[in-house]
Amino acid sequence: MGRRDFLRNLAITSGAITFGGSLLAACGGSTETESGGLSIGTPQNPIKLPVTTDAIADGLPNESGTLEILNWADYQNPDSIAIFEEKFGCKVVTSIYDTEEAAIAKLRNGTFKPDLILGMTDTGLAKLVAADLLQPLNKSYIPNFGNVISGLQNPYYDLESQYTVPYFIYGNGIGYRTDRIDKNAFAGNGYDTLWDPQFSGKLALLDSYRDTLAMAMFRAGNFDANTTDAAVITKAGDDLVALREATNPKVDILAYQELPAGNRDINFTWSGDLFTALQYLPEGVKPDVLGFWYPDKTIAKNDFMCVTKAAKAPVLAHQLINFLSDTDNALLNREYVGYQPALESITVDLLISSGTIPESLVDALVTPEKYDAGIAQVSLEPQADALWLEQWTRFTAG
Amino acid sequence: MLFGSNSGRVSPQDKLKKSPRLWAGFAFPGTIWLIALFALPFYAVACIAFGTIDPIFRDAVPQWNPLSWDFTQARQVLTSLATGPLRGVGLRTIVYVFCAMTLCFVVGFPIAYFLARHAGKRKMMLLVLIIVPFWVNYLMRMLAWVNLLSVDGLFTRFMRIFGINYNWLDGSPITVTLGLVYGYIPFLILPLFATLDRLDWRLIDAARDLGANSRQAFRLVTLPMSRAGLVAAGVLIALPMFGDYYTNDLLSRSPSTEMIGNQIDFFLNASSQPQNGALLVLTLSLFLLLLMSFYLRSTRQQSRQVTR
Amino acid sequence: MTAQRSTSRLALIIWGYIIWSLVPVVIAIIFSFNDGRSRTVWQGFSLRWWWQDPNLSVLQNAEMRNAIFNSLVLAVATLLIVTPLGIALAIGSQRMHGRSANFVQGLTSAPLITPEIVVGSALLITFTRLLTAVPLGFVAQLLGNVTFSLASVVVIVRARLVSIGASFEEAARDLGATRWQALRFVLFPMLWPSVMASLVVVFATVIDDFVITSFLSAGVSSETVPLRIYSSVRGGATPALNALATLLVIISFTALILGLFALSTWRKRNGERGGLRAASPM
Repeated sequence: MGRRDFLRNLAITSGAITFGGSLLAACGGSTETESGGLSIGTPQNPIKLPVTTDAIADGLPNESGTLEILNWADYQNPDSIAIFEEKFGCKVVTSIYDTEEAAIAKLRNGTFKPDLILGMTDTGLAKLVAADLLQPLNKSYIPNFGNVISGLQNPYYDLESQYTVPYFIYGNGIGYRTDRIDKNAFAGNGYDTLWDPQFSGKLALLDSYRDTLAMAMFRAGNFDANTTDAAVITKAGDDLVALREATNPKVDILAYQELPAGNRDINFTWSGDLFTALQYLPEGVKPDVLGFWYPDKTIAKNDFMCVTKAAKAPVLAHQLINFLSDTDNALLNREYVGYQPALESITVDLLISSGTIPESLVDALVTPEKYDAGIAQVSLEPQADALWLEQWTRFTAG
Repeated sequence: MLFGSNSGRVSPQDKLKKSPRLWAGFAFPGTIWLIALFALPFYAVACIAFGTIDPIFRDAVPQWNPLSWDFTQARQVLTSLATGPLRGVGLRTIVYVFCAMTLCFVVGFPIAYFLARHAGKRKMMLLVLIIVPFWVNYLMRMLAWVNLLSVDGLFTRFMRIFGINYNWLDGSPITVTLGLVYGYIPFLILPLFATLDRLDWRLIDAARDLGANSRQAFRLVTLPMSRAGLVAAGVLIALPMFGDYYTNDLLSRSPSTEMIGNQIDFFLNASSQPQNGALLVLTLSLFLLLLMSFYLRSTRQQSRQVTR
Repeated sequence: MTAQRSTSRLALIIWGYIIWSLVPVVIAIIFSFNDGRSRTVWQGFSLRWWWQDPNLSVLQNAEMRNAIFNSLVLAVATLLIVTPLGIALAIGSQRMHGRSANFVQGLTSAPLITPEIVVGSALLITFTRLLTAVPLGFVAQLLGNVTFSLASVVVIVRARLVSIGASFEEAARDLGATRWQALRFVLFPMLWPSVMASLVVVFATVIDDFVITSFLSAGVSSETVPLRIYSSVRGGATPALNALATLLVIISFTALILGLFALSTWRKRNGERGGLRAASPM
């Protein structure tokens, strides 16, 4: 092919791309607005989610090739994955997300095309279902589903667990360095420590607008983590701005690395991060430098695994869900991730007796009592969501 | 390279100019490419920016017909930039870029000047050493500093010897500004050097001979002669700095050092509000267009003044 | 006397600058050989993070290897498209005249003065809303990088065209060559240095590109080395990350040195303005 032909072909191709794309856009422009509304389950009003496709058939062979996971960073044990790869003769690759909203936006616009999503929670589930991104599960591939904590086998956000299988459980609270902050600092209103200027520059909050705004609400005595009350939401925004001015916080999800490294003293975070943090301790630093204040009234919840509708390897995705729901595999997975697997057999006592959890972190374990007392955090209706995001932007825009 | 191409005035190319269709044919594929993938995307951004919002996902719905563009959200974002929460971000971006640029000039100009005027035999070697960071990946250079500045990093420990116990990576505007300087200064030194290297130093010597002291010679001769190059080099680093978000993200990650690029990244990539992101992209582009037109005007004046 | 003093002060600045600009990078490279997990505290020399560790070292970790592979493929693919496209555009835009020439030249230089984040986000919006036939990931990254680097190829090649001038081609035409022959046997060979220069510059730009590649990426399948570095710089990444970044530097410099080498061989073979001589053996 001569140079000229090549150039001509290139011209034709680039022209065709432009033209074809505009056609596509012209035809498909209106589909996005058609959804009818969000299906949101709450503990008071549990919901059976709408289903638009059938689950995969029973007894299909495992796909050969690649399984693509979408997950938080450091939220699966590479060793567990290696065992799975060997057992099922496949390759597993993982894409990373930092926030649920970003993950959903990117799933919708096609940036992410995973088979399996790990670690999503019910604050994002309604949107995932409304965007028709998930496929119902075929439990015949997941015999280990029976291992799941019995109270979570029929959760309010997804009755009959049509789409989801619980992965880990955790509660929201404050991780801190016991060598720099005394436990008694959290007597009184423990949240006030986050507003304490003496921790300026050594303090961080979760990069999760739902969790962090709710934290500000709890501090002010409002314990509805799904409020639609504009005044309450604005107050939380005001308080966070005050926090920002007092303590110049970081906003990220790196507590599990930065606390053990000693780069910060105090971090509003998920309880499980403290257990992840144990393996990031520099050599020679004792594990009991890590502490966690678990508030009496706070969010306690689970995240889950779900299979995407567009999955190219749905059988493998089911197999991995089943694999991770096996007690031994879940324990191995936990060794790296740190979080508590949502399995009935993995009790708090079992974890304490394993000897890996320092005395100072026993408080960070989510007991069944704490779990039941936890405040639920569910998807928001779009109007309310906009109010929350508006306040969050006010805070993060500095 | 931006500066080597003051094209145009070449020897008459009569014969070549006789085949306009051939040359247009040469330019055609690239032109189509740029129309499709450079110009058209701006239209797409505008269609998102002035479109509507999906009620369920709060996602933008593009409005392809410019006649029905909706400017409510644009007004909100502009208000926010003028008086609301985004105002701090905008001002901070300008301040950081201004400080970083000033520092770049303060450090970069003497270096370029020395290279062009006094380096002598060592010129080649020094030039190579100065070009090296140009070829080291930007993120690698930031990674290097993150290592040095962390709590047990070498630099932090070194500073502790002098009793300075500063937490560099905890949302410090100083770190961010210095990070920008470190990142972009190679892109300033090279074009500056190219400009100064082409100067006719005999003019400066003449000025000295005619009684000007070194400061006067610098102010009255060197500076005016190199002004176009200075401005161009400034523009060359200012433009990417205005759109920078990764330096900030790596060195600070705190709301109190958030720049406009971070907000664009946040709205487009980390949150489900692409409309705001698109509006900020448009605003930033317009702002930079203004800067550019200032630059173009000043270079045009310059080329009228200087006759070579 | 004073002049000398100020000169030595300038020399001090320049050496200070060189130390400031290079030492951190050198230290980061050294730490890729650290025996411990730390990227800040030296614990002895080892090649653990380069290849000894079976899972985490840069040459054995599947994701890091994947990132290196993706970076190289993206850079080479971009080169294959952008070089012919850019050369043609440079020749065409330099020789066109009139209003259309102004338009083409304006369009060509516009990407040079547009921040990457603007190009990246505009293309992201375009590929997800308008040209939806283009999937995010490799294809989108390729189109984006070609668009962004096209301008630099044009600038480099055009500078060369200007310095060559029209006389060689005219001479060829006078001697009876057709227009196409004049291009093929006279102009193209003379363009080699600029082509080489653009190859090197574009390769380095794309290998190092973060913003556009990141905006247009689709998860791990299209993760390049800079993306990998970015996502793991903060926090507990191991010295393998330093090793990965070092590899990137090595790749860039190899490209640079190869380019310079090719250029100097070309110069040696063809003399200063050896276009005609270069054409003769063909």
